[in-house]
Amino acid sequence: MRPCGRTRRTINTYNTEKKGNTHTMTTENRGVDRRSFLRGAMAAAVAVPITVSLASCSSGGSGDSGSGGTKSAKNPFGIKESSSIEAVIFNGGYGYDYVSYAAKLVDKKWKTTSKVKPQTNIAQSLQPRFVGGNPPDLIDNSGANQIGFNTILKSLETLDDVFAANNYEGKKISDTLYPNVKVPGTFSNKFVAMNYVMTVYAVWYSASLFEENGWTPPKTWDEALDLGAKAKAKGKYLFVWGKEAATYYLTLALDSAIKEGGLDVMNAVNNLEKNAWSQKPIQDVFNALEKIVKAGYFIPGGAGTQFTAAQAKWSNDQQAILYPSGGWIENEMKKATKEGFKMTGAPAMTVTSDSKLPYEALRAAAGEPYIVPSQGKNVAGGKEIMRAMLSKDAATNFSKTRLAPTIVKGLVPADGFGSTALVSQTKMLDAAGDNIFDWEFSSLYGLNTDQLVIWNSFLSGQADVAALTKQMQKISDDAAASK
Amino acid sequence: MAVFLILPLAIFLLFVIWPFVQAIYYSLTDWGGFSPTMNFIGFDNFVKLANDDTFMQAVFNCILLGIFVPLITIVVALIIASVVTVAGPSKGTIRGVKGSGFYRTVSFFPYCIPAIVIGLIWSQVYDPSAGLLNGFLTSIGLHKFTNFAWLGEVATAMPASMFVIIWGFIGFYTVLFVAAIKSIPAEIYEAVRLDGATRFRTAWSITLPSIRDNIQTAYIYLGIAALDSFVYMSALFPNAGGPANTTLVISQDLFNTAFRKGQFGYATAMGVVLAAITLLFAAIVFGIVRLTKGREEGRS
Repeated sequence: MRPCGRTRRTINTYNTEKKGNTHTMTTENRGVDRRSFLRGAMAAAVAVPITVSLASCSSGGSGDSGSGGTKSAKNPFGIKESSSIEAVIFNGGYGYDYVSYAAKLVDKKWKTTSKVKPQTNIAQSLQPRFVGGNPPDLIDNSGANQIGFNTILKSLETLDDVFAANNYEGKKISDTLYPNVKVPGTFSNKFVAMNYVMTVYAVWYSASLFEENGWTPPKTWDEALDLGAKAKAKGKYLFVWGKEAATYYLTLALDSAIKEGGLDVMNAVNNLEKNAWSQKPIQDVFNALEKIVKAGYFIPGGAGTQFTAAQAKWSNDQQAILYPSGGWIENEMKKATKEGFKMTGAPAMTVTSDSKLPYEALRAAAGEPYIVPSQGKNVAGGKEIMRAMLSKDAATNFSKTRLAPTIVKGLVPADGFGSTALVSQTKMLDAAGDNIFDWEFSSLYGLNTDQLVIWNSFLSGQADVAALTKQMQKISDDAAASK
Repeated sequence: MAVFLILPLAIFLLFVIWPFVQAIYYSLTDWGGFSPTMNFIGFDNFVKLANDDTFMQAVFNCILLGIFVPLITIVVALIIASVVTVAGPSKGTIRGVKGSGFYRTVSFFPYCIPAIVIGLIWSQVYDPSAGLLNGFLTSIGLHKFTNFAWLGEVATAMPASMFVIIWGFIGFYTVLFVAAIKSIPAEIYEAVRLDGATRFRTAWSITLPSIRDNIQTAYIYLGIAALDSFVYMSALFPNAGGPANTTLVISQDLFNTAFRKGQFGYATAMGVVLAAITLLFAAIVFGIVRLTKGREEGRS
């Protein structure tokens, strides 16, 4: 599942739709999740009042000491030599050692002492520290239990100066990045989260299987329906879904509708507007999807199937031939992918061939939101680690070891370090050019759990388009009311 | 002397009552969870809860769990307990059926497994294509169960989850009831046997009234556990409330609201409602037990 993301997600317990993440769901992560369940259960049942009381007892301010260095072109944030920096990093599918790698570069350059601590429960573990006014200097606010951005917005540093600074090679950082990477980290016009990992949302397939059968990835929903019939003739299904990941089809549907109807469609949904889900492009996509459900092109029983087991029916058993997901899918299914699968992505299909945005348009978003709390002891130190992460050395290290692109352009070689999925992500990004969009309402307001319920019903044929529209609108309206 | 009284009282006040008071206070605020300040908003959270369809669905689900899980668990546990202690051969001493020690031990096994593991095991058993249950059903020719999602259909999700919870609890309550039944003098059973009572009549008129207190306690414990059910439901339905929220429980809704949506004040209000429902449940069980006891005493 996707785990995490910026505002999102996770695992098993987890939440959300979001992006990015790759994480989550490998087997080892499942263990963590189970543990966090228990912890969550305890927290919910017992510890809430207690933690709360302890936290509120200690709500003293700490102020920003420590940014004592002098700012200069070489030292854009004024980091003080020999100071110490504390980073708390979500330990999900990407691990945390890539941050240690960047922190070591900082330590070498500034003789600082960095502590990089892994954490799986960001919200629960850092809540008392936020309330108490002594948060760490850098946080990867990701995973199922990430802190909702609307709750901490006021206590975060803006990061515009990070992107305006030069990287360690002397180039201005903002010139080295993919377009629109600030968007997912901008809330109420404040850019507070540096999302590090570039996640491409696509429809994934096996290039070898498609070649063998003479299939091509569908560019419109009509083509998808035709492909479903062809797959059926071979005893295969078009799609598969798992109960914790039913909303991957929400992602696909919304991306498709946005490409069909343009960015206005996205803005209405993102701003939780009334009747946003009744917009024609969205309805067209829902109807197309319902046709596919009704035709029986989904593997039945998804609402009761654990999502990685469902995904294995696509990547390993090849019972289904297409799967919509983020770029983390390759990493997630590494151990359950058929030999010679050649995992490749194609952009979401459009409704008609003259859609507002071209077929190549892509939902691609930076995920893994890094934040710097204003009350941290070494704000400059937190930003300095970010700067190191955005420099060539650390960013290349990430792509090479995690097989995922960062927001820094042009660091993935033509062979994609041996990964067909990484190559196709880079290709899709290049083909999309500036037609890259992203939406965040689901993770921003923590709606994935509610959305999963109706999407499971819809994909299993228990709810029709009218019920789906009504429920999606209700979830959106409720979130708008509690804003 | 005073120390022995005051110290425990102080600990109780500090670690039990004070958090309760705080929780009630937070339920009256709009606290988001990460700020030192919050606004007092009176009973707005509770009004909002009453109009929150998802929450009301969760309350309804919890009530279903609170009724059926204890009832079925106790009935089944009582039957097993009677069979392995007093419902054996009608000749010779009062004893259980042959091999009762074995049954007693086996019935306790599920209780040795942590709840989270039980949930994970059963979510695999219920898997539509690779699960044991559908594997068995399709192998005996029931092909309509191919890819049937036990946990994904509105009609079956709740019963299937209840089965899992009950499966996990039965062993412990069997052992509890066995101990209780053993404390009833065997002469009473011999006497009713001489009077020609059937096994059912014996269970109804002798066993049941004799261990009434144990059953009451068991009912309350089970009810509280069933009203919570967080671990089982989270394992069976990670991330969501089951098909059309038919298995969503209050504690899951609370968890989502607090930790995913960042509405701690609202979530705390849910916790307060859950506590009220639990207290009410206990009061109802006490009331029923007292009523029935009064009637029987009046009759005798």
